[in-house]
Amino acid sequence: MIPLETIPEKLGISESFVEKGGVHWLALGAVNVRALAKAMNEVHARFITITAYQLPKDEGFRLEYHWDLNGRLLGFSFQLTGKSIESIFDLTEAADWIEREIHEEYGIDFPGREYEPLLLRQGETPGVNLRDVVAVSQEKI
Amino acid sequence: MSYKIPMGPYHPALEEPYKLDMICEGETVIDAKLHIGFNFRGIEHLAETRNHIQVIALMERVCGICSNIHTLTLCRAMEGLTGLTPPPRAQYIRVIMAELERLHSHVLWAGIAAKLMGFKTMFMTCFEIREQVMDILAAISGNRVNYSMNRIGGVNRDITDPQSILKMVEALEGEMARTVIPIFTTSRTARSRCAGIGVLTKEQAVALGVVGPVARASGLPQDLRKDAPYAAYAEMEFDVPVQPDGDVRARLLVRALEIMESCKILRQALAKLPPGEIHTEGEKFAFITGTSTARVEAPRGEVMYSVSWKEGSRNPARVHVRTPTFVVMPAIRWMVQGARLADTPLIQASIDPCYSCTDR
Repeated sequence: MIPLETIPEKLGISESFVEKGGVHWLALGAVNVRALAKAMNEVHARFITITAYQLPKDEGFRLEYHWDLNGRLLGFSFQLTGKSIESIFDLTEAADWIEREIHEEYGIDFPGREYEPLLLRQGETPGVNLRDVVAVSQEKI
Repeated sequence: MSYKIPMGPYHPALEEPYKLDMICEGETVIDAKLHIGFNFRGIEHLAETRNHIQVIALMERVCGICSNIHTLTLCRAMEGLTGLTPPPRAQYIRVIMAELERLHSHVLWAGIAAKLMGFKTMFMTCFEIREQVMDILAAISGNRVNYSMNRIGGVNRDITDPQSILKMVEALEGEMARTVIPIFTTSRTARSRCAGIGVLTKEQAVALGVVGPVARASGLPQDLRKDAPYAAYAEMEFDVPVQPDGDVRARLLVRALEIMESCKILRQALAKLPPGEIHTEGEKFAFITGTSTARVEAPRGEVMYSVSWKEGSRNPARVHVRTPTFVVMPAIRWMVQGARLADTPLIQASIDPCYSCTDR
């Protein structure tokens, strides 16, 4: 079994994993998501998913990336300054659908890739924040 | 000259909507493109308008086959935010319900696969056996589809007579061992229809991050019941069937062998069912601010829930569901490349897809 300590070494950071609620979290500092995806590929971790959180008021979004390493659930959090974060689709094919889904539901952009419609089959071009759309339509009612 | 054949959204093999556009040359599929979203329901966003009781009922409806797994995963995630730990008896009942659900899911799939292979009698046999599993589920929960068994801190209903359930499981196991398993594992017809078609190599399986029986049929020995045990799985003895070939037959064999392993787990869980409470009786709880993540091994593979809550709020701030079919379905593109057009319905069915889960 690959020791978790090898991952911070690969990423060139001094932080260690902290286990909380069954998830091993690593604070990444300035490490970007593509460097993380490459490191995960090197240790043969299995990509699970990305979860998007819209933060209150105008604080933007937080994305949590999860990988599985021999049954251990690894978590990495990214605070988005704008509405975009680099795509890892070319490094991790498994991220294709979830990047498209987040783009459709939250309007978050993943530069470095193209989109095709995934879940939304009608209406506007995908890539809007559905929460904002729903909020506006409810105001009209 | 190549031409395009659209299959779906009214699907010839499965009564759920999705579309596969296949580029063919003659009878050979060269490439394919998948289209989903025909039943997108926005359940994750709807969950944010439900309280901690309502959200369980809502998420039970994500899937019509593994409804129990969704509430189990959700409740485990919410238990992480409330600090509640289900008592041992509840953990065993959760295992029993999860394995019964795996049985009925695998037997239902076996029936559909048999029909697609041209084994109509086997289709009827599988559905007759599945009815017996449904009878057990109904005997425990009172329901055939949405069982309402899980709650935060335990389960809602007890198994009052485990011996009678054990007898039903033993009868079921005998019938499966006598009829379904030999045909799927040794029949020449099953072999000729399934061997060498719809191959997903181990390398492709790793790249796509596939889970469950599809991963295990491509030589990846991953199963959360062993790798990250939850409920009472750490106390169960069972094997994880793995096949190296990655074809439809390998998927068939993995599920057939898993049926027998589920029966083995059920016998142990029913025999060792500990006494005591089935939920944290009368214990007051409150949600803390934070995010909690839980995973379980559903019949089709790993399900993961991430639940975010703000202290004092009635409703969750976010519920994200990662279902197994969501990661397994893209593999169909690789499985059908080079396949004969006539084999594609069976190849698609071999991943046991759930569009209801995928569209959410």
